[in-house]
Amino acid sequence: MPTMLASLNPGWVLIIAGVASLFITMRRARQAVTIAAPLLALLLLVFAPQNADLMTTEVLGLKMVLYRVDSLNFIFSLAFLIAAVLNGIYALHSDDRIQDGAALFYAGAAVAATLAGDLMSLFVFWELTAISSVFLILRAQTKAAYFAAMRYLGVQVLSGVLLLNGLAYVLKSRGNLSLEAFTDLSDPGVLFIFIAFGIKAAFPLLHNWLQDAYPKATVVGSVVLSVYTTKLAVYALARMFPGQEHLIWIGATMTVFPVFFAVIENDLRRVLSYSINNQVGFMVCGVGVGTPLAINGVAAHAFADIFFKGLLMMSMGAVLYRTGTVKASQLGGLHRSMPWTTVFCIIGAMSISAFPLFSAFVTKSMIISEVATAGYAVIFLMLMFASAGVLEHSGIKIPYYAFFGHDSGLRVKEAPFNMLLAMGIAAGLSIFLGLPALFPGFGHEWLYGLLPYREEAMGYSHHHLFSFEHIITQFQLLVLAIFAFVLLKRIHAYPPEKRGVILDTDWTYRKLGYDLVTWAGTVWGKAGPAMSAAFFRLTGRAYNWIEAAFSPRGELARGGVLSGAMAIWTAALLGIVLLLSFMAVG
Amino acid sequence: MSDPTDNGRDDSGRFVKRTAEKVHNLHTPSEDGIHPLSQILFGWTHRKGIANIIFWVLLVLSLILLSVDFFVERHDYLKFARYTGFYGIWGFVCFSFAVFMGWPLGHLLRRDENYYGDAGGPPEGIDPEAPMADDMPAPKHTSEGDA
Repeated sequence: MPTMLASLNPGWVLIIAGVASLFITMRRARQAVTIAAPLLALLLLVFAPQNADLMTTEVLGLKMVLYRVDSLNFIFSLAFLIAAVLNGIYALHSDDRIQDGAALFYAGAAVAATLAGDLMSLFVFWELTAISSVFLILRAQTKAAYFAAMRYLGVQVLSGVLLLNGLAYVLKSRGNLSLEAFTDLSDPGVLFIFIAFGIKAAFPLLHNWLQDAYPKATVVGSVVLSVYTTKLAVYALARMFPGQEHLIWIGATMTVFPVFFAVIENDLRRVLSYSINNQVGFMVCGVGVGTPLAINGVAAHAFADIFFKGLLMMSMGAVLYRTGTVKASQLGGLHRSMPWTTVFCIIGAMSISAFPLFSAFVTKSMIISEVATAGYAVIFLMLMFASAGVLEHSGIKIPYYAFFGHDSGLRVKEAPFNMLLAMGIAAGLSIFLGLPALFPGFGHEWLYGLLPYREEAMGYSHHHLFSFEHIITQFQLLVLAIFAFVLLKRIHAYPPEKRGVILDTDWTYRKLGYDLVTWAGTVWGKAGPAMSAAFFRLTGRAYNWIEAAFSPRGELARGGVLSGAMAIWTAALLGIVLLLSFMAVG
Repeated sequence: MSDPTDNGRDDSGRFVKRTAEKVHNLHTPSEDGIHPLSQILFGWTHRKGIANIIFWVLLVLSLILLSVDFFVERHDYLKFARYTGFYGIWGFVCFSFAVFMGWPLGHLLRRDENYYGDAGGPPEGIDPEAPMADDMPAPKHTSEGDA
């Protein structure tokens, strides 16, 4: 490979192709670029030498490593690039230059950030992901999408600003911006960086941008969005904060709380947004545990999640594309007209639910196993609760309410072929990753061979993964939970799907904060002029009084009340000033 | 290529028309909009009494899975996880709890679709023939700050 190509960050290929796509008006030529660029980038990544600074530069005396591959960022960027190919295929039915360009640019920025070798380079591409991805929401061209995009941009840029602020502190205290992991959260710079990562990872109470914006993006946009931002944040946390104990509790909370919202949410793309929260929670928890096997679990689960979550998002995108809605209350019975989409959605649902022989079974279990081994009993129970919860909202609710359940009477065409192809590949990957190693390097062993701590992963694979005990306990959890669903449906204890929005903590700024500002504006509109009038009345009176006293026609000029005493007062004041001066000098 | 004979084979003996027709039929929805593949894959879900069958099959399967615990000694690191039936019971209880919480939370948190004043239809770029597209016409934003 030519030296110049070998030292080119694969993310840059996508960024350049993304910018070029904005100007290519010929649809098929542009679409060829959207698929060829990630394929070329994949080649560059696969053949790149590892653990070497492949591209460096110096800006204002600061050394920036723009391209460095190692075992941790390799697997994340590999998943990002494969997903970019699938997203390109999924978008083939549409003809939208801005969407195509923004999707490529966004994917490229995420890859470039992942492959950055220092924090400043990471920051630059961190910001670019924010700026490019917002167009995927704006392209929906609805009022809701416009306002959600503005809120999204504000939050994402805040994350970037906090990151930059943290870098300044760290550069001062540490003297460099290397990717050496942080250990002490009490350092303010480190805390800023932690919060910046936390915003993009959608930590609890910092999560609202995700459920707000993703469901309002275009059909293709929400598929693309579901891949990058949160997983980039997981990578950043795994890189800079492995073993940070706070993350265990934060992650466990992230797995649990979305379950309750997802149960009652009517918009199925919003259900999947809560599901992103839930799955990223498992990863964050694994980063907090920080052992080699836990970090393996994080990387593997992120890899698998990108495809099964992308697959579920694609299937709901196909439903939205064909029917015009993804509201559970309006859907049902679509398996009659969209059987292929139904099959792919069920594969995605079984993968995310961690059924044996599907991908999450071989990835999530590493994290849960390490949590149990480390003795975190409460966390273990929370993660098991979340596993039953994800089965409820992503494993059952999504396919059941869209494709089965009450027949909505909607008869539509099957999804376009390009969508089916993208879903088919993602479904194939979700199954392949969960298969036992029929021969070395097959199925899950292919994934395990790419993990940062390969030996630990292989040891886990040989001793525990497909043991009778592990398989049977997983089936016990899942089958009994499915039985609970059937039972609750039978006794009509399952809450019906109703139209409406479900309030989340963003109510505090979208309603309470907005109303407060509106109220303050109204009050100011009335109080402002009143205060101005009072001020001018007061100053007018003061002027009149001063004029009456000091003007040439005033009281003092005429002698008035101070008649005769003026000279004495002047002499006294002078005396005091002189006295003070002497004291100051002396 | 010559015309196929009555048995659907061409001169070289290959099934031409019938195979093509079969493939075509497999991907052509009927007049009432039902995809033929759905009958093959999911026809069983329309059977009368299928809900009962699923319920009883799952009940029996659940009992079998739980009873396995009597014969297998587990080696979980956490002591409570070794109790008989722990995983199954925890899965059942957690799932039911999440669903039951849906009732009060729904009453507490569900508001009208236009609560935030931005309700609208689907995003741009969906199938022009989509039946639900006009369900609620999307108000397009016209300028910055348009509320």
